[in-house]
Amino acid sequence: MKSAELYPKEYLAGRGVTKKSTHRGDRMEPLKRFGGLKDYVDVLYYCIKCGQCRSTYQEKGRMRVCPSGELRAFEAYYLGGKNLLLWGLARGEVQWSDRLTHLLYHCTLCGNCAQQCQVPEIHYYALDWLEAAREEAVKRGVGPMPQQERYGKHTLEEYDPYMEPHRDRWSWLRKEAREELPEKADVVYFVGCTASYRQKSIAAATFSVLKKLEVDFTVLWRNGFDEWCCGSPLQRTGQVDRAFKLAQHNVEAIKKAGASLVVTSCAGCYRMIKEDYKERYGLDYGFEALHITSFLAARVKKEELKNEVRKRVTYHDPCHLGRHMGVYEEPRKLLRAIPGLELVEMRRIKENAWCCGAGGVVMSAFPDLARYASDKRIEEAISVGAELISSACPFCWRNLQEATERSWSSLKTLDVIELLWEAMK
Amino acid sequence: MVVKPLNRHERILRELQAIVGVQHVSDWPEVLFLYSWDFISAEKPGTCEFVVMPSSVEEVQGIVRLANRERIPVIPWVSGICTAGLCIPREGGIVVDLRRMNRVLEVNEDDLYALVEGGVTWAGLVGYLEEHHPDLMVGVPWAPSGTGVVPYLITTGFGDLGMISGTGGDSINGLEVVLPTGEIVKCGSCMTSQYWIGRWPLPDISGLFVGWQGTTGIVTKAAIKLYPKMPVRYYLLMAETVEKGYPIIQRLAERSWTLGIADIWFNNYPFTKAHTGSRRLKLDEVPLDPDERVKSGIPDFSAGIVVFAPSDELLNVHEKAISRAAIDAGAQLVPYDEVMSSMPVDERAELPLASNKPIHVAPAWLSTPRGGGGIISWVGTFLSHREVPKFYRMGVGVFKKYDKHDLFYGRIMMHGHHVYARHIMVCNKDDPQDLETMRKAFFELDDEIRKNIKSAARYHLSPWASRANLSYVHGPTLVLLKKIKNLLDPNGLMNPGHLLDTL
Repeated sequence: MKSAELYPKEYLAGRGVTKKSTHRGDRMEPLKRFGGLKDYVDVLYYCIKCGQCRSTYQEKGRMRVCPSGELRAFEAYYLGGKNLLLWGLARGEVQWSDRLTHLLYHCTLCGNCAQQCQVPEIHYYALDWLEAAREEAVKRGVGPMPQQERYGKHTLEEYDPYMEPHRDRWSWLRKEAREELPEKADVVYFVGCTASYRQKSIAAATFSVLKKLEVDFTVLWRNGFDEWCCGSPLQRTGQVDRAFKLAQHNVEAIKKAGASLVVTSCAGCYRMIKEDYKERYGLDYGFEALHITSFLAARVKKEELKNEVRKRVTYHDPCHLGRHMGVYEEPRKLLRAIPGLELVEMRRIKENAWCCGAGGVVMSAFPDLARYASDKRIEEAISVGAELISSACPFCWRNLQEATERSWSSLKTLDVIELLWEAMK
Repeated sequence: MVVKPLNRHERILRELQAIVGVQHVSDWPEVLFLYSWDFISAEKPGTCEFVVMPSSVEEVQGIVRLANRERIPVIPWVSGICTAGLCIPREGGIVVDLRRMNRVLEVNEDDLYALVEGGVTWAGLVGYLEEHHPDLMVGVPWAPSGTGVVPYLITTGFGDLGMISGTGGDSINGLEVVLPTGEIVKCGSCMTSQYWIGRWPLPDISGLFVGWQGTTGIVTKAAIKLYPKMPVRYYLLMAETVEKGYPIIQRLAERSWTLGIADIWFNNYPFTKAHTGSRRLKLDEVPLDPDERVKSGIPDFSAGIVVFAPSDELLNVHEKAISRAAIDAGAQLVPYDEVMSSMPVDERAELPLASNKPIHVAPAWLSTPRGGGGIISWVGTFLSHREVPKFYRMGVGVFKKYDKHDLFYGRIMMHGHHVYARHIMVCNKDDPQDLETMRKAFFELDDEIRKNIKSAARYHLSPWASRANLSYVHGPTLVLLKKIKNLLDPNGLMNPGHLLDTL
């Protein structure tokens, strides 16, 4: 049986807020997914900037949800403000400018605002028009932010946004180990740029776990069908044409590997391959995509986790994995399965999880926003007595790790898969 | 090197930045656009020069003193979604956005009040109580959670404990206000003590700020009454017509203090349908005429009744008494749970639970499939119980002429001592003609009310309504109001274009 056939349908479906089918019922007419700004003009004015996009409503405490708005406070930084600015733009009452670009890009696209909004059309489509606005800004030459433009160019040349040479992509893996991997396999492990160039320990742990479980897998290192950036940083900043080129290449590379399933370490890569490649770009790729935590949650057996990890751990839901794609339980299932590990939850979790500040590619353009968001998250982790904050995304890991260092606390950061490897090695 | 002198705008900008910090002032057109209008009413947008976000009373004082020196208007602002454009900057100036002054400073469990800063929202206050004082509750209006607590208090809003606490104005225990000239004043017991336990025994000067539409000062602190949480039940009383249903709830309101009734609101059918989240039912498909609705078997009148008691036994007794009163009068009393269970699962959360929670679904009322499109406003009045049915028919008649649904809503408060009702209309923000229709209908209805509802104490905050209203104020009293305004705001800078400025 192929790996892709082993998984329950809901694992493969993607079921976050970006999925228009989620609980939509008969409450609204469906709109176009991934449309241009003009496709949403007749919805934007439903917004009355009521402020529901600023705090949760289901849980006690009405917790704040928008890093951008909480940092800058002006209405323009919240979803309500952006909705009405875009409406004003459509009516000619607001003009394209560098200031507007700043406002549109000063957002992690975490989607927590849309999660809270109860106007169905805004709830389900706001992320689409926030991205459409960035795409329009790029078309008009006022976007992306200068730093994002620089790495956008580099990504087309060296296939990563970290300004690193492509030849170093596999520096985390010994040449012999790489060459041992088959050219074709049932599963492709799509490592992603952050785990390849920055948080290499996550890539190494994932590789080790897959090996240990004797998964028939490979990685895309061979010339001609090598792994490139998934395109997420470009797509999220409106550089759609560039992102599309990367997507086309990656789909061809995965196909050549003959895989029925691609698994990713990175939540951003997962959303990109699972949703954007297929539904936004219309690429017909004939394989399934899973985040590594979903893949392993259905595979790892309790007896394989023999080492105790005596830690009080809290889990941070990556926005692209949780709210965007609906994967909340699988990483928790893995953590709970680790002997000795105590999972403690923060107050803002799952659908209401506070963004770590790395999303929407704000780390390069608005480092203060990235720092603010991650510092707040670390404060929350410390407040529940966690010794360790875990996530399922190297990008989150990176931003949370920096905040952990700034916090002068004893808190540590580890990816779920790193913890899993600790338990099974 | 020649240093170019700063122009007036640049000078004021620098000074505001010095008061509140560079990042808390903006003169970007894009930012100001969002302060030019409430984006929810048919009022026309205005313009402002600056938005500034103070974080302390001292910073508010600094802004107001600067404004006085420069003779530039000041517009107090919390959420900016008043349904009558109260927050629209009509004559330019500085919008003072209080959202950074959003702390709950104290909750006094013995004396049952919360002391909050001027920019606290309902989400902020209710969230704080849920987290730190789960046994206490506060009367909450049917407003989105991002709206302000203090604006509700000083514009005499209507909350879901109205039968006990009255209007927002009645819920005030004390205020701290920065006057238009920069001095700080205190109202209530906080004048003489650290406790904000009430508005007496010295002269109650909170009246200088309640009902003045933000034209006499900026409220920087307010104490609001709290109540202990108790077991609660919700009912819906349905009757064929307003004429048949209203007298029943009037009688219940009079006996409310013995029946544990904390809230009674009343609606007509289109409002109930819009409010209870029945998106299946488009307003376009509902007959405009209530008599036509009744002919097709639809009860046009419904009222929500909220009952509190310390025990289930007592709730059972209350339920029996209320139910008997309803049945004897030919109406139907349905527990809300039953209404809820008949709704599709994903729409249940939209019921107006009157459970001390801000209505997170309010904006959803406005979406186009339900006849709206981002605008909701109303014409309303305090009035005598005996004129409520007449008032209802009047609104329906006027709105029908404009081919618009009348979403009728009212609340009986203080055991029947106040009743307030309003005719609500929704329209499309993107359609200038629709907005114009709303304005015309409102003018006409307001005029009708003045002419034909003898008991009307009209309540609408927009300048056109204020102008019309003030022309009816008893002469010497109007002179006194003007003297007070001139005393407090000698340069006429505080939220100009509202209330007395409209004369």
